[in-house]
Amino acid sequence: MRASFVFSEVVTGLRRNVTMTVAMILTTAISLGLLGGGLLVVRTIDRMQQDYYQRVETVVYLSADISANDPGCTSSTCSALRGQLESAPGVQTVIFESRQAAFARFQRIFQGQPELLQLARPEALPASLRVQLSDPARFPSIAKAFTGRPGVDRVTDQGEYLRQLFRALDGLRNATFVIALIQALAALLLISNTIQISAFTRRAEVGVMRLTGASRWYTQLPFLLEAVVAGVVGGVLAIVGLIVGKVAFVDRVLAGVFEAAIVPRIGYGDIFSVAPILLLVGAVVAALTGYLTLRLYVRT
Amino acid sequence: MIRLEHVSKSYRTSTRPALDDVTVAVGKGEFAFLIGPSGSGKSTLLRLLLREEVASRGDVYVADLNVGKLSQRRIPQLRQRVGCVFQDFRLLANKTVFENVAFALEVIGKPRHTIRKVVPEVLELVSLEGKADRMPHELSGGEQQRVAIARAFVNRPLVLLADEPTGNLDRDISHEIMLLLERINRTGTTVLMATHDHTIVDSMRRRVVELHLGQVIRDESRGVYGVSR
Repeated sequence: MRASFVFSEVVTGLRRNVTMTVAMILTTAISLGLLGGGLLVVRTIDRMQQDYYQRVETVVYLSADISANDPGCTSSTCSALRGQLESAPGVQTVIFESRQAAFARFQRIFQGQPELLQLARPEALPASLRVQLSDPARFPSIAKAFTGRPGVDRVTDQGEYLRQLFRALDGLRNATFVIALIQALAALLLISNTIQISAFTRRAEVGVMRLTGASRWYTQLPFLLEAVVAGVVGGVLAIVGLIVGKVAFVDRVLAGVFEAAIVPRIGYGDIFSVAPILLLVGAVVAALTGYLTLRLYVRT
Repeated sequence: MIRLEHVSKSYRTSTRPALDDVTVAVGKGEFAFLIGPSGSGKSTLLRLLLREEVASRGDVYVADLNVGKLSQRRIPQLRQRVGCVFQDFRLLANKTVFENVAFALEVIGKPRHTIRKVVPEVLELVSLEGKADRMPHELSGGEQQRVAIARAFVNRPLVLLADEPTGNLDRDISHEIMLLLERINRTGTTVLMATHDHTIVDSMRRRVVELHLGQVIRDESRGVYGVSR
């Protein structure tokens, strides 16, 4: 097989249908860009989950009596609870937070809202035992074991709030993937269409090729490569788009959020680790679409 | 070289078969006309030989290949042994004469040095050596057909099929084309030419196979177009 011949056929094909080629490349690029965006969201969510679940605590709020009269957790009820928690399976650390300490933390958190601070009294805040679990999934067994015990007011799990947050983020990720999928469908149809048009505009050449005994590969490879070129160029554009999107949009709009370490920063490393996936998906999907189109619509 | 054994071909769109139990053989190096009115099955027969169609019944052989039983992958082997020429030339408008002929070799992967050697030779054979750089639209009809013949012959096929090659040409030019086909025939290439140009058939006095409604009604070794016309 003469590579130079096939290559020149590919270039001719792409040039002849330049508008279709551009449309095909752009649609592919947008579709792959959305896919890449979705993958980046997934990575970010994963990292946030690891990060956040490490920090969340299960909180055993103590009764009003202990909160008021036992600032050092020295009473038999409180110290017994603490001891039982410490020896419970899956528990890493247990820290007692007195009513005063809770109030101090409250003041720290809401220091920007003086009117709220004025209204608040230490009496409104219960003392608590703050439990760090080695595995957040162990919460139900802890909750079950300690709810209703003497000296315990209630047991709460901060992880529950996080799960709500992550459900929202999962929704965002899924929406991105759905749009990427619809866009991908449009890209596939466009690739298929472009190949058909390309084959039609070159039907004279293809006819001569068939009659002179060119093999199927010789006849069809140029069309297939056109699709692959479009897929790969689309992938490259998608990667460039992600970089531009990071610099021009994400880094600026979410600067505060990154600064506060609420959301981990999306780095170039993240984009470059997604990049090969996009290129591969672009090339493989385009090639498959091309192959099927040629099989179904173009005579050999 | 070419052999059809009890070949029938029916199309779903037609009640009458295009070819009806045709048995005919053309030997190596022979020159034969395939004549008959439009719709008599001439083109269908040529299409079977090229495996553009598959016979509904019977066997078609070209050289040692059973054409109907070839796998898709081996069809190119057949077509590399069979050159063909059409009434409408089928040249590539955006390629020069040289490129048109070279294209037939490029697409079967012939190396460039072979192409550079062989193409001028065949252009000389068809008397177009001075016009290698012309575009097809700059040539006369006769010259265009000569390019098409050069393209069909450049890979030295065993068989040359010609489907009404003079259909678009006037009498003198047609005669030149016939001389060229004869010259190619003399190189040992089997030539099968479908035509309804009686002047040519009558003047050449070659083998004539006449088809009518898909059946062979006459097969003469030195025939004329005939009186049935």
